[in-house]
Amino acid sequence: MTLTLLEGALLLFVLGCALGAALLRDTLASVMSFAAYSLGVSILWLILQAPDVGLTEAAVGAGIMTILLLVALANTVTPNADRLLESINPRTLVLVGGFVLVMGATVPALPAIGDPTAPVVGGEVTQYYLDNAYKQTDVKNAVTAVLAAYRGFDTLGEAVVVFAAGVAALSVLRREVFA
Amino acid sequence: MTPLQLDLLTTHYNYYAVVLLLGIGLYMLVESANLVKKVIGMNVFQTGIFLFFITLAYRTGGNPPVITDGGGPYVSPLPHVLILTAIVVGVSLTAVALALIVRIYSEYGTLDEETLEQLYYD
Repeated sequence: MTLTLLEGALLLFVLGCALGAALLRDTLASVMSFAAYSLGVSILWLILQAPDVGLTEAAVGAGIMTILLLVALANTVTPNADRLLESINPRTLVLVGGFVLVMGATVPALPAIGDPTAPVVGGEVTQYYLDNAYKQTDVKNAVTAVLAAYRGFDTLGEAVVVFAAGVAALSVLRREVFA
Repeated sequence: MTPLQLDLLTTHYNYYAVVLLLGIGLYMLVESANLVKKVIGMNVFQTGIFLFFITLAYRTGGNPPVITDGGGPYVSPLPHVLILTAIVVGVSLTAVALALIVRIYSEYGTLDEETLEQLYYD
């Protein structure tokens, strides 16, 4: 796939929002920037033909996550907004720059975007799911078929994680009555 | 920039975005003094990995993996499933982290990492 104008603009928007979330000193501004970031990412999923992931990202990433962050902010403090931007620590910047260079050096080894012979797209696992999902599960959406049927235990594990997170959040937030 | 690298940028652009997002997320995790911003950084880092997976699932001219007669070719459904699970797990993680943050604030009255360290060692 060649880079379209829409996708290029969206990638720049997403990266800009991430930078904004990182550098804005006011936590509320940072949260808002992160919400815009999630929305941009969910549109990116649509462009990459992943509507299920896009829907989940828009509802959960941009929706629930922002609400959780805002509720957390409402119950705590925001730092003094004496400056608009954070000051940048050169030592951390060098560390992160090194990490980015090392990760970036691995990119040429990856298959080109959209290459039909790439291991994931052209692999036999993908082909098996696409060939058999409808026949074996009667579900037309292959993502739902894999999620609920082939990898059902995975989804059960996910439900366990959500339950554990709920229990953990409640037990952490419980106030001691006889403190 | 040499032609070879320019060529890579037009065929691997999403992967470079992944690398940059990982970098921004890591910077926020390490450098932000405010705990809420650390959690946001963790989420940016996560989304970078999501972009890596969804890009790997993409094929040129592919349709969403909803099986219809003669509807192919389709993008790979498996990375989509893994990322759907990961998004929900990520939100659970964020919820627990934010609950801990609210609790830390009610105990110590600050969310600043350095102030918290001083309070801890005093």
